[in-house]
Amino acid sequence: MRFARRKPVRSGLLAVLAGLLFACVAPAPAAAQDTTMTMHMGHDMGMGAGWRMVPMDPNMPMLPGIEMEVPPVGAFLPGEGMDPAMFPEAHPSEMVRMADGDTLDIAVSMVRRTLHGHEVVMYGYNGQYPGPLIQAPKDATVVVRVTNEIQMPTTIHWHGVRIDNRFDGVPDVTQAPIQQGESFTYQVNVPDAGMFWYHPHVREDVQQDLGLFGNLLVTSPDPDYYGPAHREEIFVVDDILMDGQGLLPWGKEAPTHSLMGRFGNVMMVNGQTDYRLTAKKGEVVRFYLTDVANTRTFNVVFGGAKTKIVASDVGRFEHEQWVHSVLIAPAERYVADVRFEEPGVHAITNVVQAVNHFAGTFYPEVDTLALVTVSDEEATPDLREAFATLRRNDEVVEDIERYRPLFDKAPDHELETTVRVSGLPIPIVLAMEMDTLYVPPMEFNDAMPMMNWLSTAEQVTWILRDRATGAENGDIHWKFKVGDVVKIRIFNNPKSFHPMNHPFHIHGQRFLVTSMDGVPNDNLVWKDTAIVPVGTTMDILVEMSNPGTWMAHCHIAEHLHSGMMFSFVVEE
Amino acid sequence: MMLLLATLAFTAPARIDPVPAALFCAVPDDVDPPAYYAVDLVTTKRLPGTGHAEGTGHVTFASSPFGVALAPDGSYLYDVAIQLHDMGKPDAGVLVAWATTTQVDQVQRLGALDESLSVRGQVTWNKFLVVVTLEPTDDAAATAWTGPIALRGMSRSGMMHTMAGHGPFQQELCAKYGYR
Repeated sequence: MRFARRKPVRSGLLAVLAGLLFACVAPAPAAAQDTTMTMHMGHDMGMGAGWRMVPMDPNMPMLPGIEMEVPPVGAFLPGEGMDPAMFPEAHPSEMVRMADGDTLDIAVSMVRRTLHGHEVVMYGYNGQYPGPLIQAPKDATVVVRVTNEIQMPTTIHWHGVRIDNRFDGVPDVTQAPIQQGESFTYQVNVPDAGMFWYHPHVREDVQQDLGLFGNLLVTSPDPDYYGPAHREEIFVVDDILMDGQGLLPWGKEAPTHSLMGRFGNVMMVNGQTDYRLTAKKGEVVRFYLTDVANTRTFNVVFGGAKTKIVASDVGRFEHEQWVHSVLIAPAERYVADVRFEEPGVHAITNVVQAVNHFAGTFYPEVDTLALVTVSDEEATPDLREAFATLRRNDEVVEDIERYRPLFDKAPDHELETTVRVSGLPIPIVLAMEMDTLYVPPMEFNDAMPMMNWLSTAEQVTWILRDRATGAENGDIHWKFKVGDVVKIRIFNNPKSFHPMNHPFHIHGQRFLVTSMDGVPNDNLVWKDTAIVPVGTTMDILVEMSNPGTWMAHCHIAEHLHSGMMFSFVVEE
Repeated sequence: MMLLLATLAFTAPARIDPVPAALFCAVPDDVDPPAYYAVDLVTTKRLPGTGHAEGTGHVTFASSPFGVALAPDGSYLYDVAIQLHDMGKPDAGVLVAWATTTQVDQVQRLGALDESLSVRGQVTWNKFLVVVTLEPTDDAAATAWTGPIALRGMSRSGMMHTMAGHGPFQQELCAKYGYR
């Protein structure tokens, strides 16, 4: 049976959700003023339709001709016009240990947060930020009853889990969206050990950005699965876009920031802007990193402490490796062991080379994500020797070895990524045509905040194109059988209006990145999401192990909602 | 019919069965490095036999568990594979490839070119120049070139330029932003 609901994946979903959102949300107030230093000089005039000017570097000149432009959609803020005190104050995430067959109730609700000195209304799972940390043993099935109390329909997608297709959380594909006041019960079977996460698959650009995300830690029965560590820390990296008045509105009928995704200007770890940790001298801390940002790829540096990369999305690497940072794109997960040897206060930072398109330069950008205070007290037991050892995971190597003969087969399918725009303001089109003489492989910062803000999913269509058939996004019709091992070649075409890196995610299956630009990957790990930089050709080998109708898409939320997705069928 | 079956056999997705490691095949080389980021090397015509010489610096990410390799300062960590052609080999001396910043204030030695006029090295800058020089000896410890430049080229990122004073920002004075 061919999948007959491809177009509704996008058009139906977006139309229904946009309509509901528009209908449910109170009208935004009149234009606001912003006089903070983040406001560009000359932009402190009234903006239409409830919009406030997007923050941007005051040293950067405004592109002539777009000074008074606002996105051609309505502005949305949760709880607009309501007193934040009406909503319960959110609190930090709590761990929920679940055994096979256990049930957890999750309420999706509006919460009050204080962020960067502003009291704001956001969303939360059970009033927590992030949502509850669910811990379950490998091969368990846990039951999660979700009740929607927010004004928008929602679902929960169990990211990376090779779950029963009925519970994958894709609206109009695997389930009807959960309307306000309604519930849906997920049976979450967890066949793989590792760190997974859950989030909505309805207007992710809004709901996930407003706090709807949580981790699912699946433990292995093998006590020696990872090397020894003194303790474990969840480390969810995120950003959010704020100005002098609080949260910048989101697009009501369609996402804004469709060209580059909505970069935030306030960094968060575990939903906090001032995350702090303590450690003892010599303590080995296992960090479970998840990037839940809409679009930002982080490069996390652990304050000079020695760092070992251990695992990623769906399990451990073939062998552990020393790294000086952890590069993590939206939706990816990494497990890193870090040994803090030097007493004192150490900053965990995001270290990137940002781009200034106006000046034509790269410049270093370093943001503090968290502070670690390391005491003089020695950690016990002494794990120095064990930490100094890089383990080879024979079980992983043997598992992957079965697939190596297929690494060099011809691709079964080839995709290319590109973008189509229509109706963008002319100055933006002209400026970008000049600017794209060079596009970096990765966009680590929003180098064009105004142009990006003005681009909505109504003007921008991000495209995954089947190179054999020319079919795009929802018109791609792929069909497989359980047991197929499929090689997909993805080319991020740099010759488009605005090329950008894409974190490519496949639901319900696992895959290996076997090579990039023809260079073999020398340390494999099972993935569900992988970065495809601009200009790059990435080969992945997908094990079609899980029957159902599954999504594949870019995990930049605004790209996803600008069309960059398709479904494929895996038959029994 | 046989042709059809044979075609299907090659195009249908494979099904996995345990296979002995001895059957392992290397990853194919049917994917070229990204042409978009390639560095075109242009001759200076200063050396005999280089009048028609050309070359390319193929840029790929260095090995990384994250796919994209970064240096400690967040710059890209690239493998650069230099390949020259249409040139004669020098009678004396050694052709050596170097990378340098656009200010030419720092230099990294990529290595001496081999018999096939190729060499591979690493670069840790986002904007860089590549130069191939004729050196008297193959000195792996050399920190800068001393001989004449035979070919040179610029990373694609060199095409990123200031927009001050022209284009859509014509009213902005270049000097205001440090440009003359």
